[in-house]
Amino acid sequence: MIRVENLRKTYGDFVAVDGVSFAAEPGQVFGLLGPNGAGKSTTIGCISGLLRPTDGHVSVLGHDVVSDGPASRRQLGVVPQELALYEDLSARENLEYWGAAYGLRGAALAARVDSVLGTIGLADRAKDPPSKFSGGMKRRLNFGCGIVHEPHALLLDEPTVGVDPQSRVNLLDLVREQAKRGVCVLYTTHYMEEAESLCDTIAIVDHGKIIAAGTLDELRVLIGERDLLRLTGTFDPTRVREVLGRIDDAEVVQAEPESLTVAMRGASGRLSDVFQALRESGAEVRETTLTRPNLESLFIKLTGKELRE
Amino acid sequence: MSFVLATLRKDFKRILQDPAALVSWLGIPLLIGTIMVLLSGGKEGPKPQAHVLVVDRDDSFLSGLLVGSLSQDRAGGFVQAESVEESEGRARIAKGEASALLVIPEGFADALLQDEPAEIELVKNPAQRILPGLVEEMVSVMVEGTFYAQRTFGDELRPIFDDLRAREDAGESTGPSDQLVSTVAIRVNGIVERLQNELFPPAIVLRTEAPPEIRAAIADSIAAAGGDVEEKEPAAKRTIALLFVPGLLFMSLLFMSQGIASDVWREREMKTLRRVVASPRPVAAFLLGKVLAGVAFVAAVAAVALAAGYAYFELPWATYPLAVAWCAISGALLIVLLAWIKMGAGSARASEILSMAVIFPLMMLGGSFFPFEAMPEGMRAIGKWTPNGWALLRLKEILLGEIAPATLAASLGGLLAVIAVLFLLSARRLGGRFARSG
Repeated sequence: MIRVENLRKTYGDFVAVDGVSFAAEPGQVFGLLGPNGAGKSTTIGCISGLLRPTDGHVSVLGHDVVSDGPASRRQLGVVPQELALYEDLSARENLEYWGAAYGLRGAALAARVDSVLGTIGLADRAKDPPSKFSGGMKRRLNFGCGIVHEPHALLLDEPTVGVDPQSRVNLLDLVREQAKRGVCVLYTTHYMEEAESLCDTIAIVDHGKIIAAGTLDELRVLIGERDLLRLTGTFDPTRVREVLGRIDDAEVVQAEPESLTVAMRGASGRLSDVFQALRESGAEVRETTLTRPNLESLFIKLTGKELRE
Repeated sequence: MSFVLATLRKDFKRILQDPAALVSWLGIPLLIGTIMVLLSGGKEGPKPQAHVLVVDRDDSFLSGLLVGSLSQDRAGGFVQAESVEESEGRARIAKGEASALLVIPEGFADALLQDEPAEIELVKNPAQRILPGLVEEMVSVMVEGTFYAQRTFGDELRPIFDDLRAREDAGESTGPSDQLVSTVAIRVNGIVERLQNELFPPAIVLRTEAPPEIRAAIADSIAAAGGDVEEKEPAAKRTIALLFVPGLLFMSLLFMSQGIASDVWREREMKTLRRVVASPRPVAAFLLGKVLAGVAFVAAVAAVALAAGYAYFELPWATYPLAVAWCAISGALLIVLLAWIKMGAGSARASEILSMAVIFPLMMLGGSFFPFEAMPEGMRAIGKWTPNGWALLRLKEILLGEIAPATLAASLGGLLAVIAVLFLLSARRLGGRFARSG
């Protein structure tokens, strides 16, 4: 289990992680979902020992990452966002080296390397260096280096960034396999679809804080059944709030001079009411987007901005 | 320990898989070395010779002695003196056709014998670095010798020169009379006997070496009497090429160390360093494996280069293992020093510039481009205390069999202590912000 309690990490006046707490269980995939700069990688860095927490406690299988660092890191596998491979060594040599870094050697190391090469589908390319691999193959080898020592907890920091759709599917399958084996997986992403399809528990992070957490079903309750209507154009925020307040069940989530977000049930059938009200306020609408309820709409509802902004 | 060995194996493979780096580390010094050896004619090549133009305005017996002594065998055939007219001499030295121009003024001999100031002029060729300096040294020694000879024997010799001048004035071409020469010789001999104790104090021991055939006869007689004979190999001869070669080897060591030390930045940029920090192994073990891989590579290169050098210069093989070990340990010093420096830079590019800014002055001062023997005194004094210069001097002593065991032990202890300190500083820097912020 990975337990994070009131984790705080600051750089001078800048607060990267602000009192984050969660617990990731064995056999489950725990997702940290948030936009770039939300504090996901900093959280992963504090758990993996790369960064020293400013405050709070982090433990991996009961070992505190600060006071009992080597023991906690022995339980962890890390798959970083960027490739961390020796391009001038073969795939097998890469796996052997990272296995040795976790204390494997001799026949046990060789057997484990063979097994991982099979798992990541590179058994027939074991002697080739990563410089001869496609992007997807490199990603799989990068993943293999993180699991070669059979860790009890696995940290994956946006492992599918820049990966083609087919390789992404392959990687997500590999992650699911690890969870099925009983590994505690902590997965960070800013792809809402990935989090929805992969994670058992999700924490939505923004500006270093967890703004919502729970299973997908629990989060859906928070979202409600309301659609999100996003409009761009020219708006008077005060007048817009006034006129839309008269429409039943319409909630102005965010109102800016050039953008507007409204949450309401059955928005597609009530667009004429919305446009009529906006005309009354003197607004000019250039573009309209209707979003069905999902994690993205929850994020927008909670923060007033899109996940990828 | 297994992680240290795994890192050693990994990095040794990686070093061998970078042919471009290998070519530059070994090729550049090899190219420079080959050119220098060819220019110096190798171990049996011609000795460098200074061409000195001489203008003898005095044209006296004494000035003739001075000029003659320049080209004598005792000068080792180092100087080739050529008498020229003054206008021709000045024109040729201006064109750089000789190492130096020596002008002996008219009245030089008279001034010397009358205890009056005399001045000779030496014009050096500014385009040459070493030979004019050596000519200046030689002329200074001769002038000093002439001065002291004049102070000691001036009164005794003066009658001979007066007699010679009188004969020249009378148009006679004969030398001084036998009676005069005998009288002067007896007086000079008396002075030498009186000064003998001061001139040849018993504290100075004159060691002579018997020719090989005599040594063999002595050895035979000792063996016949049942004794043991230990024949020591003669110390290696210093040739011009041998002066350059250890410096070139250290140039190669500096290039190798620089390249190997750069790997900390490559690891950071490949993000593999972050993986190491996230592993349970200490970063110091990782650095140790990396340094040992570098040392193994340096040792392999030094073993091959030194084997070639020992064979070529006929050096005593007994010191070969020590010389290889010294190069390998010196490599460790340079690797940790440069790694520490490089990790202080803000980027990989800046680290390359910084390390180049360090190693080129080190090569210049540390005897890699020019041997210490050819350096000006001030530069030599600084260069001897650069890390590579200091290690290079010890290597030369090892090669020539001139280092005492106590000196070697002290040098080795000092070297290992400095390596240990630099290693700890480097490991601290590597495991700190350097790895975590990359």
